[in-house]
Amino acid sequence: MVDNITPDETLDCRGLSCPMPILKTKKAIGKMKSGQVLEILGTDPGTKNDLPAFAKKSGHEYLGEKEDQGFTRFYLKVK
Amino acid sequence: MNEEKEQSVLVQILSRGYERIFFENWPMWMGGILIGIMSIITFAWARPWGVAGGLRNWGDWFFAAVGLYSHKPLSPWISTNSILTLGLLWGAFGSALMSKQFAFRPAPGLELIKGIVGGILMGTGAAMAGGCNVGGFYSAMSALSASGISMMVGLIMGAYLGLRYLYWELEHFPPRATGGVQSEQGKKGFNWLAIEPYIGAAAFLAAIVFAWIYSKIALTRIGGLLLCGVAFGLIIQRTRFCFVRGFRDPFMTGEGEVPRAIAISLIISILGFAALKWTGLRGEGVYVPQAFWFGALVGGIIFGIGMVVAGGCGSGSVWRAGEGQLKLMLAVIFFALSTSLVKAGIKSSKALTNLMGHRVFLPDFLSYKWTLILLIALMLVYYLLATWNEETDKFTLEI
Repeated sequence: MVDNITPDETLDCRGLSCPMPILKTKKAIGKMKSGQVLEILGTDPGTKNDLPAFAKKSGHEYLGEKEDQGFTRFYLKVK
Repeated sequence: MNEEKEQSVLVQILSRGYERIFFENWPMWMGGILIGIMSIITFAWARPWGVAGGLRNWGDWFFAAVGLYSHKPLSPWISTNSILTLGLLWGAFGSALMSKQFAFRPAPGLELIKGIVGGILMGTGAAMAGGCNVGGFYSAMSALSASGISMMVGLIMGAYLGLRYLYWELEHFPPRATGGVQSEQGKKGFNWLAIEPYIGAAAFLAAIVFAWIYSKIALTRIGGLLLCGVAFGLIIQRTRFCFVRGFRDPFMTGEGEVPRAIAISLIISILGFAALKWTGLRGEGVYVPQAFWFGALVGGIIFGIGMVVAGGCGSGSVWRAGEGQLKLMLAVIFFALSTSLVKAGIKSSKALTNLMGHRVFLPDFLSYKWTLILLIALMLVYYLLATWNEETDKFTLEI
């Protein structure tokens, strides 16, 4: 289901650790419009828990994640 | 039923158990409860849990080796401080391997500098407060020391200031990513990830062998403490239990999950410590640092800024270092060095020592009954405020 998503924006957080990926996401979302999809590239194992929790708390829709070569792609739909 | 079939059922049960422990997420509140229980077990076995003391022992060794200190510190193999922290690192490393989460993780330059600066701030704060977020706050609060409360106030203030800095940094120096970390699989045709669980299992087994050797040379207590440390490492790595989040999240995202877990954990641990001290099984003065209120408050603020900047506290930096994160490895190294130096500085001056404050064991002033009521009420307020903020976002800082 996350395979055919075309993101509106991509945020590269590879190599960053907690809390930087969430902070960058929070900032990027502020500049996006409702319904747009943000793709986040990350390598921190914590992001897999933190991002869905952040989405749930802030009301954005967490679309899912997929593994790439040595990093993960996360998808978030702005509320 | 033939024997082969029964065996395969057993294998299935075991592999399901393995998946559940090492691949599924453990809930945060469970981490809180388990840490509370381990905290009591560790105190009942030998002494309260701490992290900074171990790092200080390692820092002391470094400075003794380069000739800065004249006397040799206690051997890291005998020091209970050192053994607990070694166990934490060991357990987190083993657990990360078993979960296939171990990888050497480099970070961009600015992040590495933040690891170093955060480590130095944490080392300084821990030396002033009589411990890090574990020894100075968690265990001190459990031990019914007033300094635990003043460090908690300091940590909240420090986390707020640290987060303000991160927001400012994001505005002016947005962090650059490293690009892809080296592909963890298929590099040079060898699949490291597939054998990680075996190395992890070997690491846990080795810890048990070490504890057994300790008991053979009449150091059973030390060996047991090593296993306590390993248990903390396993629990904390699997739940990703993070004290920083307990103080930072309410301001950053408004999430209250970690503050609630810490409050539950501390209520358990406080009751256990009170039982051990009240009944006279353990000395009342244990883990009541001479830090109330100045050292614990100001140390807490400095520590709080450092832990937010580094992205890991005393325990958090150590377990993330065990997971292979370069930024937190640097934080741990500089934490160890700075806490050793600052502690030596404080100890060498009578005026500085007195400035840090007094040893205040709350039951001496309030009786056990009222101390317990006060501390548990404090934890309930912390729990409720975090949950209230989750709904209202009253404390949450917008970016």
